[in-house]
Amino acid sequence: MNCPYTGFPMIIKLQRLKLQTRKSEEAINITASVEEVVRKSGVKNGLVNILTTHTSSGLLVTEGIPCLEEDILTHFARLFPEDQDYHHRRYLDYDGRLGFNADAHLKSVIGGISCTFPIENGEIVKGSRQTIYFMEYDGPLERTYLVQVLGE
Amino acid sequence: MIDFHTHPALIQELRAQYPSYERSAREVFQIGNTFQPLETFFLEMDVAGIERAVLLPIACRRARKGDVSSNEQVAELARKSRRFVGFASVDPLEKGAARELEAAVTKLHLKGLKLDPALQDFSPGDRKAFAVYEAAEALGIPLVIHTGMSWAPGTALERGHPLHLENAIRRFPKLRFVLAHFAWPWVWEAAALALKYPNVYLDTACLYYDSPKEFFQFVFSKQIPTSLIERSLRNKIVFGSNYPRVEIKNMAAAVRSLHLTEGCLQKIFKENAERLLGM
Repeated sequence: MNCPYTGFPMIIKLQRLKLQTRKSEEAINITASVEEVVRKSGVKNGLVNILTTHTSSGLLVTEGIPCLEEDILTHFARLFPEDQDYHHRRYLDYDGRLGFNADAHLKSVIGGISCTFPIENGEIVKGSRQTIYFMEYDGPLERTYLVQVLGE
Repeated sequence: MIDFHTHPALIQELRAQYPSYERSAREVFQIGNTFQPLETFFLEMDVAGIERAVLLPIACRRARKGDVSSNEQVAELARKSRRFVGFASVDPLEKGAARELEAAVTKLHLKGLKLDPALQDFSPGDRKAFAVYEAAEALGIPLVIHTGMSWAPGTALERGHPLHLENAIRRFPKLRFVLAHFAWPWVWEAAALALKYPNVYLDTACLYYDSPKEFFQFVFSKQIPTSLIERSLRNKIVFGSNYPRVEIKNMAAAVRSLHLTEGCLQKIFKENAERLLGM
């Protein structure tokens, strides 16, 4: 398929990336991995969308410094303490186990699970301070996130 | 620190190697979580402060058309890492079960026996099972046996009543019985067996509603008093998580949230398990 405006061929590429988290909660900088997918995609102008496939993890964008990573996790924990009276504390027959990680799910909801950036001349366009984070709220686990690049 | 109750049921490396492994996890063990690399298992232990984990298979191919991990798979994992202590499982109603157990201990170097009367569909008090108890006693290995409620569909609740084991406990006084899941909901009966018989132990791998902390606060302070653990059962309880049905970190935090002394926690997390394993 060609772009109706420029006539160049449209490219749509989806990459599934694995990530081994190592702690119960952590913020992992994935910016370089996303940039690499974009570079290899061959897309010069378009969009990149990044999405976690898990409901107890998240994706967010902020300045890439450790104090902010710590603040995000600390204040998410303050918003959704582990020892609250959640309904999500019961046997889940489809999983064969108890579900009791409502705090992780709620952090995922409030923090978001995806982000999108424009691509120009083969590079992601973003602010100099903007860093893409995979957010683990219930690790350690092997996680998967998606990077879809589309454009011309 | 030792976790006495884990199941190697969701390991990516085993799924890649054994064609029936995934079906057993989904249809026999009935767990829906994602398969994880071995590294996740070790990291889970690290986060919980656990150094070694007992791996429990369940030989239930007669009753469920598939084992939940095999003795060979467990032995393979134990060879890969000294952090794993592999147990064997045999079907007490199958001919040659006692010999199979002996081979698992002497040739595969497995360190204990795991039985699950609900999933394996046998009565733990049935004399047909006694040959296996006798073999385990002779081999000097501990027996972790499922007691209490089993979630597995098609299994009878009453199979898990701990008093079904009393005759075997009396008949084989040198066989150390670890009653898994504290036999919930029959925790008083389980506690009474552990109080009365020197060869009865209990593991903490019980979680049937609420969160681990909430469940433990109720069971170990309202259903039975915490003082019973602190004063009378401190040498008879081992920490077990039931991973991957529950994360080790959450079960360990729940045990630590009980009002037990450091000395008692040390016995539950370490010393009692070491004694049972001859470490």
